[in-house]
Amino acid sequence: MSDITIPPAAPPARRTAPRGAAVAKVFEGLCFSAATCLLVALGGLLVSLAIGGWPAIAKFGFGFLTTATWNPVTDVYGAAGAIIGTVVTAGVALAISLPIAAGVAFFLTELCPAPLRRPIGTAVELLAGIPSIVYGMWGLFVFAPAFSKYIQLPMMMAAKPGSLLEKLTTGVPNGSGILSASIILAIMILPFMAATLRELLMTVPPGVRESAYGLGATTAEVVTSVTLPYVRTGAIGAVMLGLGRALGETMAVTFIIGNSHGFPQSIFDSGSTIASTIANEFTEASTPMHTAALIALGLVLFVITFVVLGLARLLLRNQEARA
Amino acid sequence: MTASAAKIARRRASDIVFKMFCVTVTVVALAALAAILWSLLSQGIGGLDLEIFTKSTPAPGSKGGLANAIVGSIQMCVMAMILALAIGILAGTWLAEYGGRSAYASVVRFLNDVLLSAPSILVGLFVYEILVAPFHTFSGFAGSVALAMLAVPVITRTTEDVLSLQAATLREAGVALGAPLSFVIRTILWRSASSGLLTGALLAFARISGETAPLLFTALNNQFFSLDLRHPTANLPVVIFNFALSAYDDWRRLAWAGALLIAATVLTVTVVARIVAKEPSRS
Amino acid sequence: MNTVNPAETFETSIAEIDKAQVKVDMRNLDFFYGQTRALKGVSIPFARNKVTALIGPSGCGKSTLLRTLNRMYALYPGQKATGEIMLDGENVLGAGVDLARLRARVGMVFQKPTPFPMTIYDNVAFGVRLYETLAKPEMDVRVEEALTRAALWDEVKDKLRSPGLGLSGGQQQRLCVARCVAVRPEVLLLDEPTSALDPISSAKLEDTVIQLKADHTIVIVTHNLGQAARVSDYTGFMYLGELVEFGATHDVFTRPATSRTSDYITGRFG
Repeated sequence: MSDITIPPAAPPARRTAPRGAAVAKVFEGLCFSAATCLLVALGGLLVSLAIGGWPAIAKFGFGFLTTATWNPVTDVYGAAGAIIGTVVTAGVALAISLPIAAGVAFFLTELCPAPLRRPIGTAVELLAGIPSIVYGMWGLFVFAPAFSKYIQLPMMMAAKPGSLLEKLTTGVPNGSGILSASIILAIMILPFMAATLRELLMTVPPGVRESAYGLGATTAEVVTSVTLPYVRTGAIGAVMLGLGRALGETMAVTFIIGNSHGFPQSIFDSGSTIASTIANEFTEASTPMHTAALIALGLVLFVITFVVLGLARLLLRNQEARA
Repeated sequence: MTASAAKIARRRASDIVFKMFCVTVTVVALAALAAILWSLLSQGIGGLDLEIFTKSTPAPGSKGGLANAIVGSIQMCVMAMILALAIGILAGTWLAEYGGRSAYASVVRFLNDVLLSAPSILVGLFVYEILVAPFHTFSGFAGSVALAMLAVPVITRTTEDVLSLQAATLREAGVALGAPLSFVIRTILWRSASSGLLTGALLAFARISGETAPLLFTALNNQFFSLDLRHPTANLPVVIFNFALSAYDDWRRLAWAGALLIAATVLTVTVVARIVAKEPSRS
Repeated sequence: MNTVNPAETFETSIAEIDKAQVKVDMRNLDFFYGQTRALKGVSIPFARNKVTALIGPSGCGKSTLLRTLNRMYALYPGQKATGEIMLDGENVLGAGVDLARLRARVGMVFQKPTPFPMTIYDNVAFGVRLYETLAKPEMDVRVEEALTRAALWDEVKDKLRSPGLGLSGGQQQRLCVARCVAVRPEVLLLDEPTSALDPISSAKLEDTVIQLKADHTIVIVTHNLGQAARVSDYTGFMYLGELVEFGATHDVFTRPATSRTSDYITGRFG
């Protein structure tokens, strides 16, 4: 204890309103407005797409979704080709990338030697941030020629005339097309999916896993019987999140999908996605109806991804709530 | 006896298959990603020289650089970040401190997460409709707004997360002295959460610096050097997009160099963000 | 054997205090977390310039009670208090009460030390700056006075500009005390202030509390019966949200009036 004599405390000083009281309501209001801005932005997005696309929707009606004709010359537009392309490339990309991402995630959480865990994990997370245009360029300049030379040509040459394989592989073997785009898309969403799945797996309490191992279960069994069921909801959510991203991806796909409208006839055929169509044609849209059709395409994409992302989020938050 | 020995053998076999699958797949994935980085490096380095930073984008067939695109991108990203930080930090603060568990807050959170992963090209369309079409001109402003719209959800999310992590007693200690909650937020909580807020900002910046689609019909592109954001503004991603798809070798080389620059920026900023995030926490 | 029969009404024993000596008079306080009633009709007088300790097993409501005195619960929707808490004749729970001004009169120190992310000097000055504009020399005097009363001045006088978070746990807690007393509150609420501290720091803090009562009315919640006995003048024993016994500390500890109190004090449960 100090030797200084403690002075008797003076009576409490006069109180005025505390500092910051005057702006308290203003600050809260600003914060609220910012939060509402988000609402307004998303609502505005939907409304502007609806308004901009209305001429096309009014003219073509439901047929807009089902016809594949896309003809700027005659000003007739149908979204079916782009929708199919979007769904197919995203679906195939997911089908390719999911097992690989899951394998990477399991490797990192169960099998990886400890000193390698952080470097590889960090590498995966960093790669998830690489802009998609890099993947697009790589796809066009490196992947496409190799794909054409080592996969497309041999497959097309091996297909006997009239066989199913021939039907599946018709097209120009220049490396581009629906399958190529799907593969590039798969590579692009791979790091993101792997990182998300790995984070999910790390939420499993160590005690749960260790008890399973302690009972003599093999790694495969722990993963399939204990870990996966534990994160099932979140895993589905993560998959849908990846799907949502793949559906909306532009740059990774535009370079290599070939950009032709209409239904693709084979896996090597060119196609288009909604995003690639908009990206390619918007600035040079020839007529107002063309522009409206492109915006209507955007509306379709918005609805699809909103549903997918909304579901994904519900599932992921449910998983978090369980934890 | 044989039955259970067979079963054990089966289990071991499937375990080995599983493990081999995981290892193989990881190697394949890392190899593919390494191949991409390798291409990026080897092709990009070839095009990197001092002129990249000093000369503007050239006409086809002539030599030039990416100076106007780099400056334009920096301008737009900085402007977007300022806008996004203002809105995002306030929105995240509202969600963490005022909105809490209310229904409105849940809706805002939901929509924020949707916007976080929404296709960026749609954001570009939206900003076109409100900022380009009515004024009959593409502009760097519009590009900045589009980028800001992509950055806000990131910042909102990280702000809310990091503020929620602050100990409740920290908030209470400030309030217990007679300070209004808003004052406590500004002088204590934001300061205490500062490394988390910085991380969020860096991650948002990393994200928008690589975005191409939203700029395609907002900022468009500009062949010449200009600091005027009221008109079409040169930017790296769109330049890369146009040059890569062209038939000219010069342009393609510049495209790779630009892609390398963007990727290097994104990676550096992300690494810095992770270092900041790991700053020893203040308790 | 101590089975609790909820239908049993508790025997209680509440000592009286001369009205003139009462700084805060709590009457019939009920507290609700949503629909759950956590405090039932608690009436307790807090004597001026004395230390009143609140003891009881976990979950008995002592912290909840403490937090009604400065209406800290108002930060959280769904928490509600009814009844009266008269601070110098004014009902703290009343409708028109300015919460910020109330909290400037009733200070609180928390279980875990919570230094603000700023310098030691700014930590102590924070509360003062809220309500007063002082010139630097005057502020320096206030800061020194507060740190002295918290028995921290000697240890930090050379590093007032260093971060508060750089202090040890015991020092951080005394910094929080200094921060509280710098605004010269009339009442000090201490919520298990030594539970996160080592024995030496705890002892220093207990000494500080005894010194501080000369100028403040102090209410301390504690799990540590020895501490309650050492530090307080009056003690209230709570159980399941009710005040079971209240009286002079010496009486409560040596001659508890109710069997439940004596069971708790002798360690039969808790």
